[in-house]
Amino acid sequence: MSIAFRIILILASILTLLYMLRKIRKSQLRIENSLFWIVFAFALVVLGIFPQIAIGLSGLLGLQSPANLVFLFIIFILMVRLFQMTINLSRLEDKLRSLIQHEAIREHEEDKKEEQK
Amino acid sequence: MDVLVIIPAYNEEGNIKRVVQNLIDHYPEYDYVIINDGSKDNTSKICHENHYNIVDLPVNLGLAGAFQTGMRYAYEKHYKYAIQFDADGQHRPEYIKPMLEKMEEGYDIVIASRFVTEKKPHSARMLGSRLISAAIRCTTGGKIKDPTSGMRMYGEKLIRELALSLNVGPEPDTVSYLIKQGAKYAEVQAAMDERIEGESYLNVGNSIKYMLHMLISIVIIQNFRKRSRLFR
Repeated sequence: MSIAFRIILILASILTLLYMLRKIRKSQLRIENSLFWIVFAFALVVLGIFPQIAIGLSGLLGLQSPANLVFLFIIFILMVRLFQMTINLSRLEDKLRSLIQHEAIREHEEDKKEEQK
Repeated sequence: MDVLVIIPAYNEEGNIKRVVQNLIDHYPEYDYVIINDGSKDNTSKICHENHYNIVDLPVNLGLAGAFQTGMRYAYEKHYKYAIQFDADGQHRPEYIKPMLEKMEEGYDIVIASRFVTEKKPHSARMLGSRLISAAIRCTTGGKIKDPTSGMRMYGEKLIRELALSLNVGPEPDTVSYLIKQGAKYAEVQAAMDERIEGESYLNVGNSIKYMLHMLISIVIIQNFRKRSRLFR
């Protein structure tokens, strides 16, 4: 891993971290949702500071270069995250659907009550 | 009536009647509200049949959302004190009175704590509690002996804050945030019961996740939050 690559990795991670903390500070982000990014950014900083980890692991897996291991790691984590997000999204859509139906039926019943008066 | 007992309930058909009836029969001096968090069992039906004071959420919001609904109710009806009270029978209403007396000495949060006069056992379960206590102590200087106790009473100023803000769920990280803001807090010794019916959601996997969430939140995130003007 080149020095430039490591510096970019560390800088990008720290910027992500600061951005998330700023969003929390402005009450625009729930802490639960920021945890993933904080842990992820922290892991990338560690990989940037200690290239030995990537070098050792890439040797174990038979990868050409340690940078490939870093890419592999990032892609893997993002895939898992995307999968979770898909599940969350469908759960959210389900809740929204249920809420809209509940609200619509309630309104319908209130209208009926008013007509009867 | 100054005190509102907030009872968030999710699938508590086995416990809700015993808990609420006890409160109504023996502690009529406190108002209460049940927040049914979109339960899929008969929790809501049981409450309506018995004419309990219940707010039904049409979808499940999770504990934080349900509790906040109760706080909003307290805020809109101008209660002076609000206390979180579990529907599973863990919390005993006889401790509300000593907590209230403590509040009246001028505190903002009073926590019903299992470890004020009792010693904290050295079990795996309490390791988490110790870690959270240590994290709060390091970052705020405040000593909370039982940070994971869910039985907490809040005063008027905090009712407003907790009813309307984001990121103020009823968890230890919020306590640490409030201490940092300068809220005055105290703990009152209380015993707690094991839940009688139903299952706790805290299995090993969830517990580890919960701990990680709390520690990261207390140690890192809370330091970057804006200071509110509540206690200045």
